[in-house]
Amino acid sequence: MKAFLIGFLVLCPLFPQETDPIESGKALYRSNCAFCHGLTGGGGRGPALAQGNFVHGSSAAEIRRVIREGVAGTNMPAFHMEADELDHLVAFIQAFSGAGVKRPPVAGDAKRGHDVYTRSGCGGCHQVAGQGSIYGPDLSRIGAARSSDYIRDSIVNPSADIPEDYQGVTVVMRDGKRLTGIRVNEDTFSVQLRDPSGKFRMFQKNEVREVLHEKKSLMPPYASMAKEDLQNLLAYLDSLRGGLKTGADARQAEGIR
Amino acid sequence: MRRVALLLLAAASTLPAQVTYERLINALREPQNWLTYWGDYTAVRHRDINQINTANVKDLRVEWMFQTGMPGGAFETVPLVVDGIMYFTGGEGTAYAVDARSGRQLWRYKHAFPQGRSTSGVNRGVAILGNLVYMVTIDSHLVALDIATGRPVWDTEMVPYKAGTYYATLAPLVVKDKVIAGIGGGEQGVRGFLDAYDAKTGKRVWRFWTVPAPGEKGGETWAGDSWKIGGGPTWMTGTYDPKLNTMYWGVGNPGADLYGENRRGDNLYTCSLVALDPDTGTLKWHFQFTPHDTHDWDAQEAPMLLDLNWQGRPRKLVVQANRNAFYYVLDRETGEFLMGKPFARQTWAKELDAKGRPILMPNTEPTPEGNRQCPGLAGATNWMAPSYNPQTGLFYFAVREQCDIYYSEPPKYVEGKAYWGSVFRGVTDEKESGMLKAMDPLTGETKWDFRYYRAPWAGTLSTSGGLIFAGDEDGYLMAFDAKSGKNLWKMNTGNRLVSSPITYLVNGRQYVAMPSGSVMIAFALPEK
Repeated sequence: MKAFLIGFLVLCPLFPQETDPIESGKALYRSNCAFCHGLTGGGGRGPALAQGNFVHGSSAAEIRRVIREGVAGTNMPAFHMEADELDHLVAFIQAFSGAGVKRPPVAGDAKRGHDVYTRSGCGGCHQVAGQGSIYGPDLSRIGAARSSDYIRDSIVNPSADIPEDYQGVTVVMRDGKRLTGIRVNEDTFSVQLRDPSGKFRMFQKNEVREVLHEKKSLMPPYASMAKEDLQNLLAYLDSLRGGLKTGADARQAEGIR
Repeated sequence: MRRVALLLLAAASTLPAQVTYERLINALREPQNWLTYWGDYTAVRHRDINQINTANVKDLRVEWMFQTGMPGGAFETVPLVVDGIMYFTGGEGTAYAVDARSGRQLWRYKHAFPQGRSTSGVNRGVAILGNLVYMVTIDSHLVALDIATGRPVWDTEMVPYKAGTYYATLAPLVVKDKVIAGIGGGEQGVRGFLDAYDAKTGKRVWRFWTVPAPGEKGGETWAGDSWKIGGGPTWMTGTYDPKLNTMYWGVGNPGADLYGENRRGDNLYTCSLVALDPDTGTLKWHFQFTPHDTHDWDAQEAPMLLDLNWQGRPRKLVVQANRNAFYYVLDRETGEFLMGKPFARQTWAKELDAKGRPILMPNTEPTPEGNRQCPGLAGATNWMAPSYNPQTGLFYFAVREQCDIYYSEPPKYVEGKAYWGSVFRGVTDEKESGMLKAMDPLTGETKWDFRYYRAPWAGTLSTSGGLIFAGDEDGYLMAFDAKSGKNLWKMNTGNRLVSSPITYLVNGRQYVAMPSGSVMIAFALPEK
């Protein structure tokens, strides 16, 4: 037993000793966070952290809590880390984000952006604060959930990144008729869609000719939108930071999460 | 009158089955029973029963369900059936004996864990010899239960308990008068071993360390002191050839899983198949599938024993569809590599050389920024059972098509903490999928496949009814025509399937059993 313990003491120098917390935090960030928040914190499927505006608080304790517990009703999961790892990660995030520094507002006129939203028929597929259609992602808190660069991409080229819950599926019936909708669920033998009217459509795969998984987003690209309109629309969407509900109401806050 | 009643009573109370070593050797001659984890020592998982067959399987339906009500991890148990009684394990250190015809409980054992120990984790089932039922517990005990009552007869600590280090999950294997049991902890910086215990007393007879010490053969394949925390767990059941007096056991990954710089070398006997003398634990030969693994590709998949004509002459083979996406054929007397072919998408090996060693593609190592490789960490197949049907001559197994991004960072070893060396992650927008594959075991050629929507975690069963039973990740238990691959029957069991189906007979009636969620389900044809 003693020999065993000594063995471990000898072994220790093989492994990194006290690491630089920021460097260690960076490593943790790259493998755990960059996937959604971007390698440089510019955002992606998750909010941009580099701008220092933290929806759930920018103190070390608040960032720690978000990492440890996740955020209900969003795609932010809970991460199980050792206490020292968590410290290093938070130190790194705070260092690169310049936490506390107010981020500049998105350029453009949010009020006019709302008009663009209405005029362009966005509500035909999206919902904001309970108004509109449930076909596409709920945008009630899109400004808090995504960077404005990401939102711009999503408008101009929606196929660049399609949220997991909004994959398009086309079912080709035996008579050649086609039905396209959002995939709600699927398995080896069946598929369940939501059609543009919001209705569930359910199929057994052996009763249809084909089930096609759309490579493109079901949202049309708005690449030719006037530059000013687009900027105003971005300002409007950035202003949407609908409160996150917690506990039993959390599901209601879903949508773009 | 009274005398008659007593006589009737005596006749009704059948004595518990005596499962002898002879019966275990000849397990395939008792198609009504399922006597070991893999069904017999060779792990072919084929049964000569054709009552349920390609013509009538469409009528198969649920006969009974047994709700364990125990969450405690995925229900990975494979039930044993001995003369009308089914034995299996559940979550939280439980074991059950139930009437295999009705699902009614005969006894239940609940392991008494000392205060403060983590008690949840999977368990893969029991072994039986004589009047004892053997199981391991998540705190690394090997327990023998009385087959008639479920009462503990002996309880042996395989290794002193320390939170976050060793644990045990496998179904033990009985060989002669010994119980063979392995250990888990490949992600916890343990040094792996395989043990043999005296079946009557629980006293340890031998221990085989899967990671050799310096000076021992293979010790030179570990840099510095890395062998002390080198991994090499033995978390799945092996197979056994009584004529050759040899056991075949798969060894798991080296640690840290995703970072190999401080354990340079091949890291024997991790990701290897070891052939052991069951009497002494002496190594006869080994074959390493993935030298110096950094992708967690344990080699614990079923080492199936087949006697087939290899290039014109009968040969004793051991075959394995490995987690690293290659299917291997070895000579089981010598360990000689005979063939290896990829069976799923893989990005890491150009080919295998004449001795079966992989020739690596460039840049396949995990990196700090993340490196996408196929198969993913869970492998192109895993613990789910393959099967071999002698009528079609085909090997049936579950294939996972899925890639991961592998990250790597120098880890710090802290006893009791995970020792991964970073993380892995599924590739965004690259949907996983899977299939049931029917393959010629001599050529690696695919005869047919049936696509699953998701990558499966459930195995297969073959019967002389011309059927292959298999499970998918969405909870469907399915039956296929073994020849054509046509799906003939399915049922959604309502939970992902993470074990492998079995079949048995009671009073001449055939059943198929499959665990789902925390429920054991038995299927049968309607009674006429």
